[in-house]
Amino acid sequence: MNAYFRRFSVGALLVAATLTISSTMHSFAAEKEVITFAASPFSSARGPQLQEWVKKFNDSQENIEVTPIAIPFASFANTMFTQMGGKGGPDLVRFDLYDFYPAVAANLIMPIDGIIKDEANLRPVDKYLKVDGKRYGIAFEISNYALIYNKALLKDGKVPTNFAEFIASAKAASGDGVYGFAYRATMAESGGFWQDVCNFVYGFGGRWSDDSGKLTLNSPQVVAGIAAYKQVYDLDVTPKGADAATFRRMFSQGKVAMEIDNSAVMASLMVKGPDLPIEVARSPFPTDAQGFVLSPITVNANTKHKEAALAFLKWMMLPENQRALETAYGGSSFVATPIAYTEEELAKRPWLKVYDSDKAVSIPQLVTGHEIKTPEIQRIILEQVVKVLQTDLDPQAAMDEAQKMAESRVLAK
Amino acid sequence: MAQQLLERNARTGGRWTPYFFIAPAVVYMFLFQGYPLLQEFTLSFTETSLLSPNQSRFVGFGNYLQLLSTGDFRRTLMITALYTLASVVFSIGLGLATALLLNQQMRGRGIARALVTIPWAAPPVAVALVFSWMYNAQYGIFGHALRYLGFERLGSENWLDSPSLALTAVLLTTVWQIFPFSSVVFLAALQGVSPELREAAIIDKADRLNAYKAVVWPTIRPTVMLIALFTTIWSLRRFDLIWVLTQGGPVGATNTLVTELYRQGFVYRELGSAAAVGMVGIGISFIVTFAYFKVMQRAERARE
Amino acid sequence: MTSMSWRHGMHISAVLALLGVAAFPIYWMLVTSLTSSAETFADVPRLVPDLSQLPIYNAVFSTTQIGVWLVNSAIVAAGTTVLSIALAILPAYALSRLQFRGKGLLGLCLFASQMLPEVMLVVPLYAIFVTLGLLDTLLGLILVNSAFTVPVVIWILKGAIDSVPVELEEAARVDGCSRIEILLLIVAPLIAPTIAAASVIAFFHGWNEYVFALTFVSSEGLRTASVGLAGFVGELITPIETVMAVGIIYTLPAITFYLVAQRYVVAGMTSGAIKG
Repeated sequence: MNAYFRRFSVGALLVAATLTISSTMHSFAAEKEVITFAASPFSSARGPQLQEWVKKFNDSQENIEVTPIAIPFASFANTMFTQMGGKGGPDLVRFDLYDFYPAVAANLIMPIDGIIKDEANLRPVDKYLKVDGKRYGIAFEISNYALIYNKALLKDGKVPTNFAEFIASAKAASGDGVYGFAYRATMAESGGFWQDVCNFVYGFGGRWSDDSGKLTLNSPQVVAGIAAYKQVYDLDVTPKGADAATFRRMFSQGKVAMEIDNSAVMASLMVKGPDLPIEVARSPFPTDAQGFVLSPITVNANTKHKEAALAFLKWMMLPENQRALETAYGGSSFVATPIAYTEEELAKRPWLKVYDSDKAVSIPQLVTGHEIKTPEIQRIILEQVVKVLQTDLDPQAAMDEAQKMAESRVLAK
Repeated sequence: MAQQLLERNARTGGRWTPYFFIAPAVVYMFLFQGYPLLQEFTLSFTETSLLSPNQSRFVGFGNYLQLLSTGDFRRTLMITALYTLASVVFSIGLGLATALLLNQQMRGRGIARALVTIPWAAPPVAVALVFSWMYNAQYGIFGHALRYLGFERLGSENWLDSPSLALTAVLLTTVWQIFPFSSVVFLAALQGVSPELREAAIIDKADRLNAYKAVVWPTIRPTVMLIALFTTIWSLRRFDLIWVLTQGGPVGATNTLVTELYRQGFVYRELGSAAAVGMVGIGISFIVTFAYFKVMQRAERARE
Repeated sequence: MTSMSWRHGMHISAVLALLGVAAFPIYWMLVTSLTSSAETFADVPRLVPDLSQLPIYNAVFSTTQIGVWLVNSAIVAAGTTVLSIALAILPAYALSRLQFRGKGLLGLCLFASQMLPEVMLVVPLYAIFVTLGLLDTLLGLILVNSAFTVPVVIWILKGAIDSVPVELEEAARVDGCSRIEILLLIVAPLIAPTIAAASVIAFFHGWNEYVFALTFVSSEGLRTASVGLAGFVGELITPIETVMAVGIIYTLPAITFYLVAQRYVVAGMTSGAIKG
């Protein structure tokens, strides 16, 4: 055998050995049964508190250990889908509702009926986690929308209660480097843009589809919502093109007077700008309907640790652990079961009352009846909205076109 | 006997030596590029979801027909062509100008040559983030500068957000990032221009432009052409920069084949359509390359 | 004389303008990272860094995982470099010196690989990674990144080997050296600058790579800097000065490395890398 050939075989052996070592290394470490739990908030500012909460579970168990996996929000769903579609992935996954339905449809997550004893005790939005009568997830985080405002920047400190007042307040607050309102209007942030559009449309009584699943993208109420979006855009009261991270930062610097956002944003604003008179009120739209964020925890259908995963879910649903989870959120979100707060806690986080209002009507930020096709319909809608904002295209004409395109391109397939 | 043969092979380079030399790389490239590419090719004739890639339905040319039937895809092709052409023309032009500037004697030339290549060394993700901040309508330095110079309207617009300006903004970023590469290579090629020839041309009273045409250009022409080809092919597949800047938006204004591929595969989760978009892109790259070699051949023959 | 100095002045200004354009975005990243939040949103931009903000560079090491990310990026980049050179040098030699059937095809395939977008191969590669147990490992990233750099490196090395006189090898052949010995002992040292140049290119590829690192690695401890940095996009509130500080910390090593290695890159390219 000649010299270089030998050298190759040594090289090949080395590579093979490295491969083997790297793949077996994981299996040595475990005495407890280790399961993984992927969720995007683990990598956010709230990450440490949530990890601490998971640790409580680990401390309480003799045989199971949960390892949190932090994946940034922006790449979370695709990373999960690629991994789960490839027959791998973490044992427990926190999805957003937007990605939950496609995952159910593709059998990537398993039904988990029988985990919850008393379903009547759950928050009403729990109904969205059942598909064809089977439960596929438990709410891990719920977050509603409301108008967040900086009292010092509003005329007489008065919060607008209807849309006309809102327009007036936004105009009055603008100028001198201050913007009356901030929202998203760029495709580069299509996820957040969609949430903002949903709030306007739902607030004006619009829905993307009716109960039978027929698209209603050009209904008068939807068009009214889009027209309102455009009206705000044309007022020049918004920092155009600023992304959400920037305008929230501006808000905490007293440069933005109002925005409509969820309780998670509110809580982080309170951390970043604690000196500002930030308060929350009902969104200034004709109706009480708004979008909401619901992120269920689910069990990966590929898991080899089903029982351990279910044990974690059962632990999570114990009242004291539900409370501990909501505390870990620091007022940014609600959990599956309603938590009774003391007066003292409410005084510390007064916004919770507004976000948890009895009157709130929470509508998923999805095209109901076409949950799986939502990404495509969403893009069609948003592109039409961009055209309305950027050109003088009439909202009715734009949404007629959106309806036509969605029916012919997406639903016909 | 066999032993002897093998040994002779190894020493003098027998029939099998070349294959031993290329085998590891070939196997490796097949595993990590060839095989996945074949799979993509097969995928492009199926309907397959990202969520269940193991269950595909054969649809023949369905994905391709679907693509070609929509105006959006034709627009994507146009944008891709525009983006690629502009990237090539401007980065080569600027790269050539830079190389000629820095080829002349001056103090601190070495430092200047090093500094000018900084953009090329900067990671695309970081570049995209700082440029999107610079393009910000309210606080971005471009807006500030334009307003200061009296361009109120242009300076108050968010470039990445505007269907008419977004492509320009993405192109500016791209050219900034890639022109140093061509300038480094051109500078290297310029070292091949013999100083004597050049001096002779100048003494001949040929003015600078003519001297350039007669002496410099013929020497570096092949290099410029080759870099043009590479820049074309790399521009056709550039992803990080465009995706982080605009995700192909607004309203498809910066949507090239690769961002469209990503959207089909990872936003709409349709791997079949995504693969078809990818195949169209590769087809175009092949056509460009083929045309390039044809043109070069003809030019070669014309000169002879 | 005056026309000479006028021309000289023009030339100098043109060079300075060019350098300004090249360096400005990096400078701006630095300025933004060293501007207080209040000034970031002021009507008049701050044009020079505020040095009192320097502690942010200390802070980001504790508020983000940038330290870990950098180490991971460095491992991936270094691994990609070593593997690419190791895999490329033999075929480069074969393409330059040896005659064999399928040589043209090999050249074509290498060139064609430059046309493949990373995002297209993500899904099939994922399946391969599952089979080989490479998911969530830095080794996996090194292996897949090298697949994209090997063709370029082969191309560059081949160019350099072309320019080494064959006579040098023939003398060694007479002395009874094998091809591989000739390559490693005689040719490789002669093309060392080009190997350095190719290494820089491979290193940058590994350092910058984003799509694979995003998809194939999920553990926080294995995340690379490109993914970490891009991960700030879409978070609730990330101060721009933090993003830019992390950007600078990620960018400066690459630039420094380039400036140090730049002599070799130019020398490598000159010694026949891309001659057309």
